[in-house]
Amino acid sequence: MIGRSLNHGSYWVLIAPAVVLMVVFYVFPLLQVLWISVTEPTFGFGNYEELFTNSFLHRIWRTTAFICGITTALTVVLGYVVAYAMAHVREQQMTAMMFCILLTFWLSVLIRAFAWVMLLRTEGMINNALMFIGAIDDPLRLSRNQFGVIVGMVHFMLPLAILPIYANLRGISQSYVAAARGLGGSGFQAFRMIYLPLSKPGIIAATILVFVFSLGFFITPAILGGGRVVMVSEYIRVAFEETLLWGKATMLSSTLLFGVFLLLAIVSRFVNLRRVFGAT
Amino acid sequence: MTEARLTFGRCMVLGLAWTILGFLVLPMVVIFPVSLTDQYYLSLPQESLSLEHYVKFFTNEIWLSATGQSFIIATCSTIAAVILGTLCAIGCWRISSRASEAVRAFMLLPIIVPTVVQALALYRFWIDLRIVDTYFGVILAHTLICIPYVVITVSASLANFDLRVEQAARNLGASVSQTIRMVVVPQIMPGILSGAIFAFTISFDEIVTVLFITSRHIYTLPKRIWNGIQDHLDPTIAAVATLLIVVTLLLLLAELWLRKRRDAARANR
Amino acid sequence: MSIRNTIYEKDLYDDEELFQQDCIEIAKERLNRGEIDRRTFVKALSFLSLAPVTAIMAPGSAKAASELVVVNWGGPAVDAYMNAFGKPFEEATGVKVVIDGTGPLGSKIRAMVEAGNVVWDVCDTGAGTTLVLQDAGVIEPIDYSIVDKSKVFGDFAFSHGVVNYMFSFVLAYNQKRLEKVPASWADFWDTSAFPGMRTMRKQPNGMMEACMQAAGKSLDEVYPIDIDLCVEKFKEIRDDVIIWGSGSQSQQLFREGEVVMGNIWHTRANLLRRDMKGDVAWTWKGGCVAPGMWNVPVGNPAGKDAAMQFIASSQDPDQQIELFKVMGNGPANPAAAAKVPEDLRAFDPGQPENFALQVPFNGFWYREQHSSGKTNDQYSREVWLQAQAG
Repeated sequence: MIGRSLNHGSYWVLIAPAVVLMVVFYVFPLLQVLWISVTEPTFGFGNYEELFTNSFLHRIWRTTAFICGITTALTVVLGYVVAYAMAHVREQQMTAMMFCILLTFWLSVLIRAFAWVMLLRTEGMINNALMFIGAIDDPLRLSRNQFGVIVGMVHFMLPLAILPIYANLRGISQSYVAAARGLGGSGFQAFRMIYLPLSKPGIIAATILVFVFSLGFFITPAILGGGRVVMVSEYIRVAFEETLLWGKATMLSSTLLFGVFLLLAIVSRFVNLRRVFGAT
Repeated sequence: MTEARLTFGRCMVLGLAWTILGFLVLPMVVIFPVSLTDQYYLSLPQESLSLEHYVKFFTNEIWLSATGQSFIIATCSTIAAVILGTLCAIGCWRISSRASEAVRAFMLLPIIVPTVVQALALYRFWIDLRIVDTYFGVILAHTLICIPYVVITVSASLANFDLRVEQAARNLGASVSQTIRMVVVPQIMPGILSGAIFAFTISFDEIVTVLFITSRHIYTLPKRIWNGIQDHLDPTIAAVATLLIVVTLLLLLAELWLRKRRDAARANR
Repeated sequence: MSIRNTIYEKDLYDDEELFQQDCIEIAKERLNRGEIDRRTFVKALSFLSLAPVTAIMAPGSAKAASELVVVNWGGPAVDAYMNAFGKPFEEATGVKVVIDGTGPLGSKIRAMVEAGNVVWDVCDTGAGTTLVLQDAGVIEPIDYSIVDKSKVFGDFAFSHGVVNYMFSFVLAYNQKRLEKVPASWADFWDTSAFPGMRTMRKQPNGMMEACMQAAGKSLDEVYPIDIDLCVEKFKEIRDDVIIWGSGSQSQQLFREGEVVMGNIWHTRANLLRRDMKGDVAWTWKGGCVAPGMWNVPVGNPAGKDAAMQFIASSQDPDQQIELFKVMGNGPANPAAAAKVPEDLRAFDPGQPENFALQVPFNGFWYREQHSSGKTNDQYSREVWLQAQAG
């Protein structure tokens, strides 16, 4: 603890280059663009008023929240199962599981979306397989609707949920569970009362990551949604690219950013965000 | 009785986990046959299998130079992001005050900003700086985008590193830079490495910002893939994806093999 | 490890695509399938460089530009434009032409102009984009003392953009999957007589024209479009519609058997006809013929006059026909119609007998104010997206 403040001075020097770079080349340009939301078409908060008055915007926000909510819930539950299994199998099987997860990284999101179209479409492999074994008579509509979008998004997000949960579960000592069982609890009870609460940080981390990322999803809904599923990010793109209504686009972007910050602020009241963002 | 139920439960969980992993791998399984299609668009082979799309990748100047450009850009951005991100993470970790926590949260900004907004913001500023369509411009943008991931992974490994070790080194008279080079960095090498892998793959795959800040001189691999999809769902992209998967698989297996050998050597000792 | 691809997914990139881009893609497909080989393609186009260049010079007005950058949508179109338009212009003026295949996105043009660092001289965009850019005040008015209005089809000489070629939105259908052949947009809307999914475009232009006809309007009555009526019509069949964003997507929907009919670009319909060995057919009847557009950004580096002269030189019918042969898009100069080879006339939207069956895209109407205070173009884009979202 000797010379603490002196030390800190030299450590701030380590931080400085990255921060300066980020402020000058990222934050400044970003603010420059977001500033447009209050200057175009006229100076003031006219664009933001639309948040309250435009019912179509309400619908888009609702769709976004709905799709992202379902995706997050499904992803975290499925991710937990995989992470739990990974934490409880032998090294070799764990490695095999990790392989499957890491390999999917190399499929770009565009290619993945097209692969899902091939699997899910009316005359796609899944429908054909189901009809072949006689499970269904007529093909199901699996893509170009919300179902398809959610399948594609969950697929994309799964590794994002598995890894933080797995990191957390690995840190939980088996002796707690063993102790609970020794005290007469059943396997499931031990899991529910002891293990699950201990894995809460991992679950929260996964939930936040998945939710924040899914807010920005665009390509998967565009390809698998068949134009039916319009989320905020798609609307931002249209306003940016097509109609050049940058005031509106930047207003929605700032709102999205602000929403994420608000969410993080609320969550940080209940959990230690340091752990969520990597310092677990 | 509890044991039996546990075993049953175990089987259930394992079965379910492998089903989910199967779901994860499914698109990859589709991509491979697609890359062998005899058609000129993304589809399953219809009459015969064809290696044509692989040949196209390896013989076409356009695809090869795109791969080369992506490689250069990803390498440079990775080096820059790893150095800056690691120093930043170490600084924040060592200071560990409210202010430094805020700084670290701030460094995560590029993860949160919607990409189209980010792309336009950078594009406008890059025009002013006259660095649109240059290697420097793309590398700078990718460095900024990659820094957060390095900060996250390095912070994670610093969390398990005892602050007192660093203090001991300092008290023994080592300078800040000596301490970092000789004490801290070796300890957090796994975190730095995984940060580097992150950074590399992100840069290698990034497209939206590239589409904005480049023009006719810089053509990265994702930009080519994008064009391939817009053109006619060119199956070459399936071939590229398959090749990337194979390379990853080889790297993973090599790593596994090296680790096994290391463990064996240690056991013999 | 997992976060990597997220960046990619966050990548909110444009999957809308302009027609221009699409033509290039078609040419590439044809190259790929060996319908035309690259040598023939280049040879045919370079032959043109010997053709006389007309209507270029407006003496004394050009400031000495050394390079002119024309931006289009990339791929084989870079070579095609160079050979068809670039080389003749170079020979006539000594100004070097560079074709940049980046894609002239409206947002890029606006950012460039606002930053005062414009690097493009002539941009290959669409009618919709032209109107949006005109409203943003970032493109120059076309100088019709240099560009010849008489070499332009219909009303496709806008104040801030002029047609460079034409394409149509047509009714395409898979006759193998339908018992009867749909003859009109009314049939397109008749989901009981023609069961199966349809496809329509993400953007309203070309689609609303069909909606109006489905509502019983004749070709002459399509404009002025009743936007709200179109939205109502669209909603009638919404549950049977899949939206296409890019030309390749519309084609894929037919190939996969996902849709039995669609309102798609004639170039893609024509490719489908060939690919699917006649299963897919299409009709000019009730189609909407729309212009591709040349734009000049405000403050372009080579100077406004040089850009206008380039546009004027590209009005040469022979150059346009060669582009049509390679890309499938129709020549914009009416004088070209008679010069198109017999066997290709069925695929040229500008042939008089084809043109008469269609409604020409009316840029003036799209520019008009809607009662909401926005232009018809802006308002229709907004509500069209809303209608899709349900």
